[in-house]
Amino acid sequence: MVRSICLTLAAIALCAGFFIFVDMYLTKEFDEFYGAVDTLYEKVEEGTAVGGDADAVRTMWAGKKSKLQMFIPHNDISYVDYRLNEAFSYIRTQNYPLALANLEIVKKMAQNLPDNYRLKPENIL
Amino acid sequence: MALIFVRTAIIFLTLLVVMRLMGKSQIGEMQPFEFIITLLIAELACIPMADSTIPLLYGVVSIVAIFILHQVVWLLDLWFKPMKAVICGRPSIVITKEGIDEYQLKKNNLDVSDLIESMRAAGYFNLDDVYYGLYEANGGFSALEREQKTNSLAVALIDSGKLNGHNLSVCGITRAQLEDFLKEQGVKMKKVLVMTVDGNGRVYFQKRGERYKILSIEAGERW
Repeated sequence: MVRSICLTLAAIALCAGFFIFVDMYLTKEFDEFYGAVDTLYEKVEEGTAVGGDADAVRTMWAGKKSKLQMFIPHNDISYVDYRLNEAFSYIRTQNYPLALANLEIVKKMAQNLPDNYRLKPENIL
Repeated sequence: MALIFVRTAIIFLTLLVVMRLMGKSQIGEMQPFEFIITLLIAELACIPMADSTIPLLYGVVSIVAIFILHQVVWLLDLWFKPMKAVICGRPSIVITKEGIDEYQLKKNNLDVSDLIESMRAAGYFNLDDVYYGLYEANGGFSALEREQKTNSLAVALIDSGKLNGHNLSVCGITRAQLEDFLKEQGVKMKKVLVMTVDGNGRVYFQKRGERYKILSIEAGERW
């Protein structure tokens, strides 16, 4: 009996700790990613962005996404990948208006994705 | 992840309520919450395994959530007796010394033919082979049997006011004969809860809301 109660409480505590960790981890990772994309966005707006800037964001995202795939569905990661790659190709061809449009979408995704997995009534229902 | 936990909890509670509302005929040999766990665990284990776009952690967290809910339900069962009745249900006494309790049958979404079938599965082939019959919370049928059981198979002629024409011909009883029998008892067919006849012409007869009677009828066939 005591063993069962302890086991249940330990499982609850472990789950709660894990949920808090995942929430903080997703927020931190997407905040960092948002910062990097925002910097690239400003450079594209100024017309000073080059292939090297895009590569830096790409490398950062590649490092993050391999870990993020453990916590969020792979489809969401694919959407970010898709928009990001499109933006990079427009930066390389110096088609800045289209690059800006795609980066704007990526910024919105970076803001919204962690929110989609938070404990909120609209997400639960 | 907390989202998955809460969603799993909501599905669990919804299934629990639905299974309780469905009554004992749907449960089989398990307690309602055990049945739900069996249903959910199989699905929860399969979905993340089959769909590689869903992180495996989703399945793991859901199964841990099920485990925690199981432990909580089990502890509530032990500590708060009224909660046990709410979660697992109570046994329902469907046969008493007065006969069949139609209210209890309806409460569990069962009818007389379900009861007769349960009795046969438990080894009782006549409704008055038992003093008491009850459905346990897990859906199983238990009975306190009489010292002397009848030695012939009873077939139902009238079940909840409806005539079973096939059984009537099996018994070799004509429709007119049955109507005369009912006239003697001063009752219309729809007011009869149950009427069974065994191979010796022995009749178990119960009007709705009344005590059962043991009567006899001239059956054309013997079995």
